[in-house]
Amino acid sequence: MPATDPHLFRLPVEGEDRPRLLGSYAPRSDLHFWPRRKRCPVTRTPVQDVELGPIGSLYAWTFLHVPRMGKVSFGDAGGYAVGQVDLPEGVRVQAPLMGSQQDWSIGDEMGLTLFPVGTDDDGHELVTFRFEVVR
Amino acid sequence: MGYVAGVAALDDAGIDFPEVGALYNGYIGGGITAGVHLAKELGLTGLPVTHVENASATGSSAFGEAVHAVAGGRVDVAMALGFDDMNRMGGLGRSGRGGLGAEDVMLPAAFFAMWATRRMHEVGTTVETFAAIAAKNWNHARQNPMAQRRADHEMTVEEVLASTMISYPHTSTMACAAGGGGAAAVVASEDVARRLGGPMIEVVASQQRSETYTDGHVFLGAVIGPAQMTRDTAADAYEQAGLGPRDLDLVQVHDAFPIEELVYYELLGICGDGEGDKLVVTGETSLGGRIPFSTDGGLTARGHPGGPTGLAQIHETVLQLRGGAGPRQVEEARTGLCHMAGAGSVCVVHILQRA
Repeated sequence: MPATDPHLFRLPVEGEDRPRLLGSYAPRSDLHFWPRRKRCPVTRTPVQDVELGPIGSLYAWTFLHVPRMGKVSFGDAGGYAVGQVDLPEGVRVQAPLMGSQQDWSIGDEMGLTLFPVGTDDDGHELVTFRFEVVR
Repeated sequence: MGYVAGVAALDDAGIDFPEVGALYNGYIGGGITAGVHLAKELGLTGLPVTHVENASATGSSAFGEAVHAVAGGRVDVAMALGFDDMNRMGGLGRSGRGGLGAEDVMLPAAFFAMWATRRMHEVGTTVETFAAIAAKNWNHARQNPMAQRRADHEMTVEEVLASTMISYPHTSTMACAAGGGGAAAVVASEDVARRLGGPMIEVVASQQRSETYTDGHVFLGAVIGPAQMTRDTAADAYEQAGLGPRDLDLVQVHDAFPIEELVYYELLGICGDGEGDKLVVTGETSLGGRIPFSTDGGLTARGHPGGPTGLAQIHETVLQLRGGAGPRQVEEARTGLCHMAGAGSVCVVHILQRA
């Protein structure tokens, strides 16, 4: 099950129930970033590779009334949602949301999860990431 | 379209192409040599030709380069020329994964719709306010024969809300018109402008910025960066011009969606933070109001062809400051501001004033 963007996130390993986004931490500025940075954009000092927490808070959202996202068809669902989720490290992430607009409100707790989006040339299922409401 | 616009600008200025010392072509979707080939149609004069690209702000950046070429003494006359067809362009995504990558899912319509839902949450803005801004710009375009969208009737809030929902809360008539077009501007030194005669419009500020870090900075998938970028660019422009928002008579902004125009009321200092909704209700940003925005219909209805868009704002502002805007003329217009944001992101602000 390959990831579409392995430089952005990794799949859950044994004992984990959610994937992880791959970010950077800059000790000098005490700031986290996603995706990974070559150096801190604020202080221009070195950064360390880190994994970010998979639970955050919904900052903004919308529902797109389009039938497809890339090659993924939404059929009768009428479209798909995207949102911005604030992670505890201070990082804001844009990603698709699972469900429809009555499923969430701004401020709701959201968890990172996997999202199948097709197959690669060898027939393996490709996955990307999205957020779901944590109940 | 670029050729037509270029010749029209030369004719308007009263000069022939050999007098142009530098040409800045603004296009997003053309081939790598499109600008040089267009210059050949205007004349083989040997002038330096440069391609400028800054997404939606491409035309504004090309104009800025022309201004700086003249202001810096490189040439006495420069030309900025924008041409494009947004319907032939690809998206903003850089993943190259056939539409499966993380950047491919965040269409501009979705990005700005998230600005809108956040605004509704924080300030209580209603969908009717967004629709009122769009209807205003559609109705401004009814007075503009060069607008892409010209309704044959007065557009209403109800009609805007009843159009197809594309990305909540944005409907299809709230979204900018993507199409093809051309626009051009000739920039001359004061000495040349005096020799040519006619009404002089002075560029009193030309500023451009990119992002600085702010809390909640979005690096992947953001179309336009932090609000602070527009606030900072406008502050630079006001300082350069020695003017403030109260000195403006009209404003053109990157109104790709009405949420943008609404927040730019505040970021450009026309009103305080959270007070933009009141301007819409009272009609202050409509033609005939205190400070009309998007007087030619804006991106919403005049259109957003890409490279030419920022130059179309310059055209509209010059027309208004000359008093030649016909039925959409802003009375006693002396000073106008043009604002464009470009994906990535950048912000460009020009202030023009009747000399």
